[in-house]
Amino acid sequence: MPERVKPDVGVAAAALDFDTELMLRVKEGDGASFGVLLDKYRSSVVHFLFRMVQNHAVAEELGQEVFLRVYRSRSTYEPTAKFTTWLFRIATHLALNALRDTKNEKSQERLDDDSSGLPARQVSDNQPSIEQYMVYQVRLEEVRHAVRMLPDKQRAAVLMHKYEEMEYSQIAKVLNCSESAVKSLLFRAYETLRARLAHMA
Amino acid sequence: MRCQIESPGHAERLLAYCAGKLDSQAAAALEEHIRSCPGCADFVKEQRAVWEALDGWETAPVSADFDRRLHRRIQQEVSWWDLLMRPFRPLMARQGLPVAAAACLVIAAGVMLQRPAAVPPEFIPQSAQVNAASPDQLEHAIDDMEILRELNHLVRPDAEPKM
Repeated sequence: MPERVKPDVGVAAAALDFDTELMLRVKEGDGASFGVLLDKYRSSVVHFLFRMVQNHAVAEELGQEVFLRVYRSRSTYEPTAKFTTWLFRIATHLALNALRDTKNEKSQERLDDDSSGLPARQVSDNQPSIEQYMVYQVRLEEVRHAVRMLPDKQRAAVLMHKYEEMEYSQIAKVLNCSESAVKSLLFRAYETLRARLAHMA
Repeated sequence: MRCQIESPGHAERLLAYCAGKLDSQAAAALEEHIRSCPGCADFVKEQRAVWEALDGWETAPVSADFDRRLHRRIQQEVSWWDLLMRPFRPLMARQGLPVAAAACLVIAAGVMLQRPAAVPPEFIPQSAQVNAASPDQLEHAIDDMEILRELNHLVRPDAEPKM
């Protein structure tokens, strides 16, 4: 059966042109364009980092470093790939390093000692009951634990595939591996997640 | 349709279907297969459960002062080198590394030329050297004078020695 995927090439090309153009303006010294890129990708980068390291403070610190590196690299920026590929390559690199450093340090303080990353909910008439909230928290912890247990690269691949809706080719560029390797990573990762989370259906 | 769930291509198609990334024609063909294949039906059910579980994982909004902190760090990054290189940035943007290298060389040469010439070490006159005669030399000199006087007396015995 020939694979037919929704044609979103036009949208991607337009996005490529716009983001790349913005970054090229940053290269020329236009600070406002940097602000536009920051506005556009701040949340997705920090949320991706949070789901990688599962600690809000660390995720924000890494997010700062991502955008700082984008700014530092402006003079040498070359639009050889989609801007988001470059951006998430920086973010993934930093996240993998942070995870590796934490493992190396064998610190007592785990990166994942954070809460869900959500502000404490106030219980009121318009919001879920305490029971519902607790059920939600238990399920959320199961999801977080299942993702946390994935090998780092599988985790990054799943998060980019699920939340950033990246194509295999783009994930491959971010992780610096082949497209078939990404498919294999994702297949194994989802297989593990199905085994751990299918009961939640 | 024979089930090919074990093949990577089929699993990839099922994943794309669950992610809503297949076009309507491909999705319809796959749904027809899924209706007659319990294995694929289970796969899709479980994958959708994973998908929904991941959908439920919300994250906190980014801190309100994220941009302020970032801009403060960026301002701190503006170093003297940045200021120095600013005139060359348009050139570097167009020509890249070769021009950057050339600019660095020009600056380095300028710095070298501006630097005050190396001051030669000041001439330090050597201290006056007094060649003091040793006692032996003095003794030899007295002896020589004695010999000369005796010779003089022998040659001219009438001459009085002048001391």
